[in-house]
Amino acid sequence: MNGTVFDIQHYAVHDGPGIRTLVFFKGCPLRCAWCCNPESQDFLPQLRYFPSRCKSSHSCLQHCPHRDISPGDSAFTHSFEHCKHCTTRVCVEKCNQGALTVSGKTMSAEEVMGIVARDIPFYRNSGGGVTFSGGEPLSQPEFLLELLQHCKTLGIHTAIETSGWAEKETLRQVLPLTGLFLYDLKIIDPDQHLAYTGKPVDRVLENLAFLASLHKNIVIRVPLVEEITDTTANLQAISDIMTLNALQEIVLEPYHSLGIEKYQEIGIHFQLADISDYPFEKAAMARDFFKMKGLNCEIA
Amino acid sequence: METITGSIASREITGKPGTTRTGFFKSRYLDSPLMVDIEYIRHLTDSHRKTDGMETLERRGTDHAYALGQMTPVIHRQDTLAGNKTRYIRGAMPYANYAAGPFLSEMRREEQDAQSKHAEQGIGGGIEKALAEAGQGGLRLISGKFLISSDDYDQFRDICEYWEDRSFMEQGNRIWKNHFQKADFIENGWKTGLYTAPHEPCPEGRLILDYEMALTKGYNAIIRETEEKINTFHPEDIASSARLHFWKAAITVLKGAEAFALNYAAEAERMAALETDPYRRIELEEMAAVCRRVPMEPPRNFKEAVQSFWFTYLLGHIEGSHLGYSPGRLDMVLYPFYAADPDMTPALAISLFEELFVKMTQIEYIASLSWQGLGHGNLYQNLILGGIDEKGNPISNDVSLAILQAQINMQMTQPTLSVWWDDKLDQEFLMKAVECVKTGVGYPAFFNQSTYIQHELKTSGLPVEMIRKHCAIGGCTEPTLQGRSYGIVQAGFINHGKIIDLVVNQGVDPSTGIRMFEPRTLSTYSEIRKYYLDIMHETVRNWQQYWNFVMIAHRNTVPLVFCSVFVNDCLIKGQCMDDGGALLNQTITTLSSGMVNVANSLAVIKKLCFDEPVCKVEELFDAVRKNWEGHEGLRKQALAVPHWGNDEAYADDIFLDLYNDYCDWVQGQNNYLGKPYDPSMLAISTPVPFGKVCGAFPDGRMLGEPLADGVTSPFPGTDMNGPTAVIRSSAKVDHTRIRGGLLNLKFHPSALKGLSGSMNLLALIKTYFEFPGFQLQFNVVDSRMLKDAQAHPENYRDLVVRVAGFSAYWVEMSKALQDQVIWRTEHCLN
Repeated sequence: MNGTVFDIQHYAVHDGPGIRTLVFFKGCPLRCAWCCNPESQDFLPQLRYFPSRCKSSHSCLQHCPHRDISPGDSAFTHSFEHCKHCTTRVCVEKCNQGALTVSGKTMSAEEVMGIVARDIPFYRNSGGGVTFSGGEPLSQPEFLLELLQHCKTLGIHTAIETSGWAEKETLRQVLPLTGLFLYDLKIIDPDQHLAYTGKPVDRVLENLAFLASLHKNIVIRVPLVEEITDTTANLQAISDIMTLNALQEIVLEPYHSLGIEKYQEIGIHFQLADISDYPFEKAAMARDFFKMKGLNCEIA
Repeated sequence: METITGSIASREITGKPGTTRTGFFKSRYLDSPLMVDIEYIRHLTDSHRKTDGMETLERRGTDHAYALGQMTPVIHRQDTLAGNKTRYIRGAMPYANYAAGPFLSEMRREEQDAQSKHAEQGIGGGIEKALAEAGQGGLRLISGKFLISSDDYDQFRDICEYWEDRSFMEQGNRIWKNHFQKADFIENGWKTGLYTAPHEPCPEGRLILDYEMALTKGYNAIIRETEEKINTFHPEDIASSARLHFWKAAITVLKGAEAFALNYAAEAERMAALETDPYRRIELEEMAAVCRRVPMEPPRNFKEAVQSFWFTYLLGHIEGSHLGYSPGRLDMVLYPFYAADPDMTPALAISLFEELFVKMTQIEYIASLSWQGLGHGNLYQNLILGGIDEKGNPISNDVSLAILQAQINMQMTQPTLSVWWDDKLDQEFLMKAVECVKTGVGYPAFFNQSTYIQHELKTSGLPVEMIRKHCAIGGCTEPTLQGRSYGIVQAGFINHGKIIDLVVNQGVDPSTGIRMFEPRTLSTYSEIRKYYLDIMHETVRNWQQYWNFVMIAHRNTVPLVFCSVFVNDCLIKGQCMDDGGALLNQTITTLSSGMVNVANSLAVIKKLCFDEPVCKVEELFDAVRKNWEGHEGLRKQALAVPHWGNDEAYADDIFLDLYNDYCDWVQGQNNYLGKPYDPSMLAISTPVPFGKVCGAFPDGRMLGEPLADGVTSPFPGTDMNGPTAVIRSSAKVDHTRIRGGLLNLKFHPSALKGLSGSMNLLALIKTYFEFPGFQLQFNVVDSRMLKDAQAHPENYRDLVVRVAGFSAYWVEMSKALQDQVIWRTEHCLN
């Protein structure tokens, strides 16, 4: 079974216990306005352009079979929409500066496991394992299941980082093979959720209730974005849902602007351009709020 | 100037001096300029003028003892430990008896050596102070960063002129330049940068004395035992008669040591009499009493033990021009005195070590510009904690914890703190070690004890109990047996990068046009590999033979008498170290650095010209000779070939092949003590000057860029698969084959944050050592902080970073070395 992966990171220490390998699935049904991995959204491999490396040699243009790349006025720009469907990627090969790369590649589960398994000694000594992240790993269910099955065979601890947007049947299947769920709760208000993520919230909440009734290890993750997810009402609602589902663990992820350049690089518009890094003091206040509610809360 | 975006992540642990007093010591150190003190060498020279005709060992002992007795005892304000190498806070001793030539060259405004023009030093911190004060108040600059008074300068010139024909270096030159058939190769090797500059100005070190013996016996007992040997001595032949001279010399230096200590006692008494502060008066009186006791008699408490250690350490340090002269397993040696002292507390022990570490950092060295640049002011005084004892039990204790805490508090660049790793080590100790790592000071480095034990078992065949108990690190990363080994006295480094240059250019050095090797037809991969190996073999063999010639002069000019007393079994055998008195004489290494770039280059040649050919060898070499100009596409393809450090067999297997060949070849030649040379690889600051003299390489590296650092560290930017892959690649090497080796990892502070960060780091170390690897060291710093520190050095006077087998104050590093540290791949931002 093949899947689309956009990155594999080693010695990851913030997404589950111990030393972990992070496998990033490409493609996500949500479009969170603050997403720090915009290259994870589209399900297909896509072109990425680094203006700072470009020396305007135009060799990409000369070799483009579709002539879809065109030099802009000052910097060099191109039409990502057309390039998305191009499978030749001649431009990438011809760019000597590495200004053009492709985000995402098709990999078999065996290939992924070949990489993941190499770090088994590190997992063993640290109590670590593999975390499937994304994108939305539950959006490639068969690929994910096969990987989880391999991990079980090798005794590798598994974690899934999810937006909660998935078929219930998928959840049911991955559940017994998953050691830990890192489950996002972003906005509880239905209108706001729809407005900022592009999907209704009810499915996320239903899936959480379903999961919580059957699985013990769930950590809730909340992205902290000023005036969007950090309103008192939203934090209160998250706390209520956790209480309702008898959940204890929550991790706050303060927004950072490190991902902004990536939007430009893959040619999509970033909606929250003027938002700044989430202040630590406010994150600490949010943490204290959850602690007051009797939850185990940490800031990532 | 690059703009710095985003906030700078600070290090998790930021210590501060434990007491006001040690805080004062640290700021006094940071505020002091670098000075040269000629006092010792002046007295040594005075004595030497009068001892002509005396037997060599006795003469050396007499000269050293005389100078020790004449040195001014200086007790600085608030000091509680007596004894300094020089009269200044930051002082260096110029060893004209080792090499007068480089100093005279500077005084005569001549070039010191072929490489001094490539040497770079820092310009900040204490160097900045020296530069600012030069020319004022009769002070002048010497060797680029030290102050010396005009009077001393004139006297020192006379001293150097006296030694010009007599010093170790000049005596050695007479031998090898006249009698070594390949002398031209060595000279050309220096001109082209194939070798580091002559090492004679600072050849000693990587040596650890038997402090256990010094402390438990006391010098008086050693003198009595030696007198007994003399009294019962009967000469049998000329060789055995040398024993008499050594024993007599040994007694002379021990008595010189007594004079040295008693001078401090007298000075403390003098100061006490004048002191108005009653508390300080008591301290000074106590100091005097301690100095009247040790090192001649065994210490009665912990404080006396530390003082006794420090005297012995210092006296050996003064005797030779050392780099990497080390205290060794100090926690093991001092613990019995700590445990037996009812009045000693952890806090008192910590403050003693804080003072000791400042004293160790205050020792500077002055050598040739080349070697100053290579060492960046660090003396590599390695103090190693933890590990197992002779029975295999872990030995970390309260002294180990106090030493770690002192370093967390002070963050001095010395001692070079290390830990012998063993799985059984106490968790509290390991957590304290990780806390120290998190300060970002680059200490401790972790060493796998069992790997070295295997190396020494194979090499020396000594009993495993002895190896376990006495193994320590002498210098950056070179393991040795404390109090039992000859110092690791080697010729310097071989630059593997230059050999790539020679392969690419048919045996001719591109920067000087010097032909080092015959040209060859290179039409297959194996011919290219063979060409590299043949040049490497010639380079190694000549280097070893040259050094064997040089070391003939060592025995005749600067044999170490005091140090030999404290290396077993010199006294028993009646032989100094030069005569083979040490139990282990196989420590002498052949050093090299830059092999990673060779492996990467051969991988690229193999892939792009043979396995999946895209060009001919000549096209690739042509592109390399043009520094890739006009061949950017080919360079991109070169960079896409798997490089070392990604756990990919393609490049890794080539590295292993080269590594094993190197080890085999190095061992094939005996050292000057009649034992096989031991293979080793290190770095110190060589990647920068070695890279500077090299053209571009087939692996994609550009002209002048530094080489890969460490021994198994990947070339910056070519390790694409994270730190675990770096470690897996590095672990493929059989580390038991070499004496030394290091792997640098640079982490962003967030990667090690909190308790889980500590546990993960320990798991990382454990995993590497299970593979088994040999050494791991860490820089924990946000690269943005380093860039900010380049832009605003005034805000970072006390910033310390790990360079190679040592750490250094950021502001005192050369710009090129700073860039190299920034350039290294930083792991973990996720």
